[in-house]
Amino acid sequence: MGKRIGVYVCECGTNIADNVNIDRVIEAVSPLRDVAIVEKYGLLCSEAGKEFLKQSIKEHDLTHLVLAACSPKQHEMTFMNVCQEASLNPYLLQMVNIREQCAWVTSDKEEAAEKAIRQIRAAISRVRWHVSLEKKEMDVCPDVLVIGGGIAGIKASQLLGSPDRRVYLVEKSSSLGGKVKGFDKLFTAMDSGSALIEKEVKSLLGAQNIEELTDSEVEQILGFFGNFEARVAKKGENGERNLSVGAVILATGFDLMDPTGLPQYGYGKLDDVYTSLEFEQMNMPSGPSGGKILLKNGKTPESVAIIHCVGREEKGYCSRVCCVYSLKFARMLKSQLPDAKISQLYSDLCIPGKSYQKFYEETKDLGINFVRAAKTTVTQNTKAVAVKYEAENGSKGELAVDMVILVPAMEPSGDTNRFAEMLGIPLDEEGFPVAEHRLLGPVASSVEGVFVVGCAQGPKNISETIVQSEAAAGKILSSLVPGRKLELEVRTSEISETFCTGCKMCISVCPYSAISFDEVRRIAVVNEALCHGCGVCAATCPSGAASVKNFGFPQIYQEVVELVR
Amino acid sequence: MENKGEDRRVLVIGAGIAGIEASLLLANSGARVYLVEKNCYFGGNVIKFEQVFPNMECATCMIAPKQQELLQNENIELLTLSQVEAVEGSVGDFTVKVKKRARYVDMQNCIGCNACLESCPVEVDNEFEEGLTKRKAIYIPCAGALPNVPAIDTQNCLRFNGKDCQACQEACMFEAIDYAQEDEELELNVGGILVATGFKPFDLSKTTQYGYKKFDNVYSDIEVERICASNGPTQGQIVLRNGKAPESVAIIHCVGREEEGYCSSVCCMSSTKLARFLKDKLPEVKISQFYSDLSIPGRAYQRFYIEVRESGVDFIRATVTEVSESGERLRVNYKTEDGKENTLSVSMIILSPGLEPAVDSLELAEMLGIPRGDGGFFSEKEPDLDSVDTIREGIFVAGCAQGPKDIPDTVAQAEAAVGRLLSLSR
Repeated sequence: MGKRIGVYVCECGTNIADNVNIDRVIEAVSPLRDVAIVEKYGLLCSEAGKEFLKQSIKEHDLTHLVLAACSPKQHEMTFMNVCQEASLNPYLLQMVNIREQCAWVTSDKEEAAEKAIRQIRAAISRVRWHVSLEKKEMDVCPDVLVIGGGIAGIKASQLLGSPDRRVYLVEKSSSLGGKVKGFDKLFTAMDSGSALIEKEVKSLLGAQNIEELTDSEVEQILGFFGNFEARVAKKGENGERNLSVGAVILATGFDLMDPTGLPQYGYGKLDDVYTSLEFEQMNMPSGPSGGKILLKNGKTPESVAIIHCVGREEKGYCSRVCCVYSLKFARMLKSQLPDAKISQLYSDLCIPGKSYQKFYEETKDLGINFVRAAKTTVTQNTKAVAVKYEAENGSKGELAVDMVILVPAMEPSGDTNRFAEMLGIPLDEEGFPVAEHRLLGPVASSVEGVFVVGCAQGPKNISETIVQSEAAAGKILSSLVPGRKLELEVRTSEISETFCTGCKMCISVCPYSAISFDEVRRIAVVNEALCHGCGVCAATCPSGAASVKNFGFPQIYQEVVELVR
Repeated sequence: MENKGEDRRVLVIGAGIAGIEASLLLANSGARVYLVEKNCYFGGNVIKFEQVFPNMECATCMIAPKQQELLQNENIELLTLSQVEAVEGSVGDFTVKVKKRARYVDMQNCIGCNACLESCPVEVDNEFEEGLTKRKAIYIPCAGALPNVPAIDTQNCLRFNGKDCQACQEACMFEAIDYAQEDEELELNVGGILVATGFKPFDLSKTTQYGYKKFDNVYSDIEVERICASNGPTQGQIVLRNGKAPESVAIIHCVGREEEGYCSSVCCMSSTKLARFLKDKLPEVKISQFYSDLSIPGRAYQRFYIEVRESGVDFIRATVTEVSESGERLRVNYKTEDGKENTLSVSMIILSPGLEPAVDSLELAEMLGIPRGDGGFFSEKEPDLDSVDTIREGIFVAGCAQGPKDIPDTVAQAEAAVGRLLSLSR
């Protein structure tokens, strides 16, 4: 069938009409090949304008449409809807921005006309190669897999479990609660962490449609947003379970950096040098000392140094919560050992937020010694532990203490990295899974439908962790609605089976993990459910096999040729 | 009242980045969203920034697609120039009275060509640009502001002050100027409410030692953000009020921290960002940052700080005691932690004030029945645990209205509030 291209120039009131010689444009464009009609109109986006366009498309039996008007950001959707109403496939429309890119930036009316002609010619040339595209929908599973049964996983599950949505909460250890259940006191209220976990787990048991899978490991996750398949194995049991879920929340928490790699702190060599988590454990009533703060020799310490920022330089980031929990430690020490001399060796006090300054000042008033220190080392003296440091003005200082608490950097747990690899989420320079967008998508990962929350996503305190869990729940509740289908991107990438050499370069560059390798046919295959049509694969493909629908070689080449001709 | 699925209706107060993110998620779930914004534009504080840390992304470019999406979303009713006046009822069934002031420009007819602006004979200080430039009585705050429809400021418009001017109406080709528009009183029924009213900077007029508003070359950080902005008063040219580019700059952190009694979380990074921006634009400029403790928590921020420091920016741990003027230059007197006093001569000073709850927070808190805690920010139900929940069931808070925070933490809270709102009443 012959092509019948309609070209409409919008005057945009006086905006385009006053600055572009539209009559000259029409004269120049009319004789071009396949152009069936060229007309101008006062304001195409008005109700009357849209009606005119609709009738004109039908009347002239148009097969393709070029609209020279404003920015497609403003009205492409408007006109795609008009096409739909006129029974013209909306992907056969090409907009030309002769307002922002021409009328508003070109002072001479004739020069502007020349530029507009060039732009419209290019659009005609490209749209001729456009093909009809159809919207696609996909059935989705609303259920959610939550990996990690700490406070983050518990909170996310609470929000997500409902009669029409099942949540699988997988925890590798024998009970829920993560690190928080091992904290006797939480800042700033100094309430019990284990009591908090008990309360939250209880409310989890009362919630609907949540299945707890403790002592279990997720071994494999395949699939994509809306349709993941996860394989879960329970320790000591034969057989595995296969779970179908629509989304995955990774809430695998943190580990402390191991300070044995930093010999200057004497950890592992000196008796009474502890990590912050070991000190937490010492304070647990259920712990080995029954909650008493004791030295290895069974005596109570008379002096304690808390050393901040252990491993910060090596890690390259501030772990955010250590300053505040070190203040908490000082209070725990003071409440059990009121006469103990407590020193905090810190570099910068990082206590952001509305309520921590007060917490700091109240702690300081208990008689805590705050020392700004650098190049801190810990060695054994004859009687005590010697903590040596350098003050900011370069002078040297030394403290003799009975006990040292190291506050090491937080890093994502080993599991986080394993899962990131399993799911195809790259890690950033600091070793955390890359977010969809550092600022606008903090909990969404680079793989659609997979969320990373809590300390697996970066160091944070309990309330920030809970916020992220709820955030992931919010994103899932918003996008995976039970009974609703998922609308897919229309202008996706496609890879020609004939031209693909199987080099896999497209797979390595795809930011959405949308391309996989078909081992049988030895070619790369696009998953349309994941592809966003960004075109990175097309730009990378050395054999020209990958292209984005309506943004392929013919469309772009024809457009550019006309622009530069 | 049934408040589920397609029937769910939510009020979002404040259309900054938190309100935008929450509204889009809510609307995409099928809920009906009323997004109330007191200004004639939306986008909050973020649209004032040329670039945001740590990737130095263009803030407007980052947020504009979300704004466009919001404007085109049929489930969202954006109510600009609007304020909540009364809230009654309880979760699942709140009745909210909203006053929507007249814009006097028809949103449908106006195409945003700005012909009316040129014709207006009135010029007043542009508050969006911190008074660094003028605007007309019919105005948009800055190029690119959305919705791209001007509003008439009746306080300054001649016609609304008894004069017979209709210049804007005559200039408009689209019959969009409508002097007969009236303020509206709307009554909305919603199941849940999100407070996302953001922050305002600490009032620098409460300080005397830094010479703000006394010496020409002492600026607030927001003023400098606008000077850096390509759509700002100088089109992004870094020049002082005297028209010269600064050759040396002192950035003073923690202004107002003592008065406020808390660390505002983001100022260390935003100050370092300004240093980076100035260095990029003026490679020869000498920059000194006066700080007490560096608060650069979390991933990526330390790397950013080290890069800026290594580009030649001085970080001086000291308290600035006094700023004085000497000819065109400024003298910064400061005291280091070991008590030593010193002086630095610079051509520009940038003050980095703390963040406070937005104006009208007190009235809104009282109306909603939510207490305000530390610093006057909206109080959460369980401090240190659930930061988006308030003591009133069905009312949530997100972003800087809850406490000072950066963009990712603000977005996370907005999404968290959506999680809570969408799991309500099940």
